Amino acid sequence: MALLEVADLRAGYGSVPVLHGVTMSVEEGSNAVLLGLNGAGKSTTLMALAGLLPVAGGEIRYDGRPLTGPPAARVRDGIVLVPEGRHVFPALTVRQNLRLGAWTIRRDSRRVRRNLVDVHSIFPRLEERADQPAGTLSGGEQQMLAIGRGLMAGPRLLLIDEASLGLSPKLTEQVFEAVRLINGRGVTVLMVEQNAGVLAQADTAFVMQQGRITVTGSGAQTLEDEAVRAAYFGS
Amino acid sequence: MGAFFALGLFQGAVYGLLAVGIVLVYKAKRVFNFAQGEFGGVAAFCAFYLTVSLGLPYWIGVVGGLAAAVAMGLAVERVIVRPLESSSRTIMLVALVGVALFAIAVTVLVARPIPRVMPPIVEGGTVDILGAAILPQQLILLAVLAVLAAAMAWFFRTDLGLAVLASSQDLRAAQVVGIGPTAVSRLVWGMAALLGGVAGLLYAPVGIFTPGFMTFTMLVPAFAAAVLGGMTSLPGAFIGGLAIGVVQNLGIYLLGQQLAVPGAAELSVFALLVLVLLIRPQGLFGKEA
Repeated sequence: MALLEVADLRAGYGSVPVLHGVTMSVEEGSNAVLLGLNGAGKSTTLMALAGLLPVAGGEIRYDGRPLTGPPAARVRDGIVLVPEGRHVFPALTVRQNLRLGAWTIRRDSRRVRRNLVDVHSIFPRLEERADQPAGTLSGGEQQMLAIGRGLMAGPRLLLIDEASLGLSPKLTEQVFEAVRLINGRGVTVLMVEQNAGVLAQADTAFVMQQGRITVTGSGAQTLEDEAVRAAYFGS
Repeated sequence: MGAFFALGLFQGAVYGLLAVGIVLVYKAKRVFNFAQGEFGGVAAFCAFYLTVSLGLPYWIGVVGGLAAAVAMGLAVERVIVRPLESSSRTIMLVALVGVALFAIAVTVLVARPIPRVMPPIVEGGTVDILGAAILPQQLILLAVLAVLAAAMAWFFRTDLGLAVLASSQDLRAAQVVGIGPTAVSRLVWGMAALLGGVAGLLYAPVGIFTPGFMTFTMLVPAFAAAVLGGMTSLPGAFIGGLAIGVVQNLGIYLLGQQLAVPGAAELSVFALLVLVLLIRPQGLFGKEA
């Protein structure tokens, strides 16, 4: 069953439209990837899904219902964004960053503790660095913290925006491995990527061009697709 | 000289109390809140009206005064701060100076600029501390300062306090975890106004009070106290307030009375500030967050 259904979604910044009718469907439990060049509208799509950007037209359905609430309500419903550029709280410790990730479930201390154990099992490094200010972490560690902070809310749908940005190939592989692990635990993942290497692990791939989805297919199939190569790699 | 030390300590408690509110707003918003004193001014005038003019019980004056301060804080947040959220901090600062001057002007118009005497919380004679005659009201003030500074330091370790810090560090990230920026903004200004109200209510009975009494004489030393303490530190605001009060009064004694230096109080405050900032530019307890 589709957890997320987007139909003819239009959104933009002020009077500048970016999304010209995005249609996509993400199956519950799947690992989906949204690929495209800079400016195609990938981040804008995730922002609209997270409620950080007003929708100008079209519809988002989540778990069978129209999705309209403010960002906090969507987090409570299980839609959690790991934003581009990590956006950790630099002067707070790793522990405090993770604690704030559980902001919407903070009254349920058992669930918070359970989620923390989960996060530490996926990213043991975060436990070692618990008392360190997040701003002093390396880029890879900050990315792990950003994803870990997202997991603290107990997401059903994790939206990850360019996790590989600025990371070495080795760290990128580690982050992708962590995402596979998270997906394996039943969390539906929608990743925005420019790194086509992620296609190998994707159940579904969407290729975005100029505010529209132009190709939809399985990850492996998309990797071989001539049209995708042309659109995406420009050759 | 001991008497001047004691006088300074208790005078400094008011600076500290205002400084705690200034530090709260700065930590949360990176804004210098020049309206902090007038939250206290408005609270004092409302409390005076309720208790002295209308003859209502003292506690109603206290509750009414604090309610007026919080209402003012929330109004300032809605009308001034939120629309200017994305403008430069300088514009915000000037707007908040405007809020203070506006509040003073309204008090002058409504209450007339006559000196008033607010009855203290506890009646009774003065206590001798190191040769200085200290009012029970001043003892309460120092105790309340200690409690509130500790309470605020504790607040920033709670989930709510962390959410306030988080919003000041990265607003987008705060939204992503589900923290509502408007709720945080309201909370911060409501709390700052409450702290300012407490300062005004506790300080008004110490002498006579007139419109602007918190802003004209208290606010600048309070800012000095906040800066001395590192601008983001609550123990710093506490210690800084007391230090400014003590140095100010020792300056009055040593420079003013012994050497007849004019402006000894101000001179000693700023000399202390310059000296500390030369040695420790980040203030006594200054670090990030």
